[in-house]
Amino acid sequence: MSDAIVSVEKAKAPRKDLITTQVKWGFRRPMNLEKLALLAQRVSGVGILAYLFLHIFITGTIVGGPAGVPGGEDVFSGLMGMLFNPIAHIGELLVVVGATFHGINGIRVMLLELTKLVGHPIRPDYPYKTQMLGKGQQSILFTAMIMAGLSTIAGIFILFLGAGA
Amino acid sequence: MKESTLQLINYVMILVLLVTLALHLAMQAFLGVSGYADALSYQTALSRYRDALSVSLLTILLIAATYHGLFGLRNILLEWRPGRRWHGAVTGITLGLAVIMLGWGLRTIVFAFGAV
Repeated sequence: MSDAIVSVEKAKAPRKDLITTQVKWGFRRPMNLEKLALLAQRVSGVGILAYLFLHIFITGTIVGGPAGVPGGEDVFSGLMGMLFNPIAHIGELLVVVGATFHGINGIRVMLLELTKLVGHPIRPDYPYKTQMLGKGQQSILFTAMIMAGLSTIAGIFILFLGAGA
Repeated sequence: MKESTLQLINYVMILVLLVTLALHLAMQAFLGVSGYADALSYQTALSRYRDALSVSLLTILLIAATYHGLFGLRNILLEWRPGRRWHGAVTGITLGLAVIMLGWGLRTIVFAFGAV
């Protein structure tokens, strides 16, 4: 009876930085729209979270805090004055566009997980076809893109052309 | 808590977030505010914290956005590396961030509402 050969070497987990891993995965062939949508969903999500973090602390200056935490009308108005510039407006525009896409594409992902939107599996006959994004999913994804585009236009009008002033 | 329970809570938070965020943005944009510059003024911002309905909306929005945002970040970070220690560290960091964000946000809401 021959002895079994057992590997005792530890599995090595790849240790690349998170952003490189995600970007490489997103653009690795074969590329498809679903993968890019997931990448965009993650990037927009992290961006919105960073904005939320800042937003909570900036709006927090509306009240003065205990132990010398700065706040009140002067601090809040000063901060708002500082943030009323084209660079901050571009940031705000990205938040609006990102949130619109993230919200609508998020509905697609939720429906994908909770309903039959994913579609029925088909037998893999040659020549193989990539089975991705059925018509229902495509409609929602394209709606997300169109709405993000429209919110960009609305944001430009409000932030840069003074339509909301 | 089981991951499936956390995900279920996340779905509820997403639905809450969709409604409250739409209302929050509408209140900044066209419900009772005359323009973008006006929305940034101190008095307009403070008035949002003095109305009980608006304060309730802000509180629910803060909780839902913090949960959904940090749960998403946790999922991305957990996919990056395997291991129990990493899992524990990521959960600990996101919980810490949640405490900071909720603590600071609720502090603002309570102090501003209390200053009526």
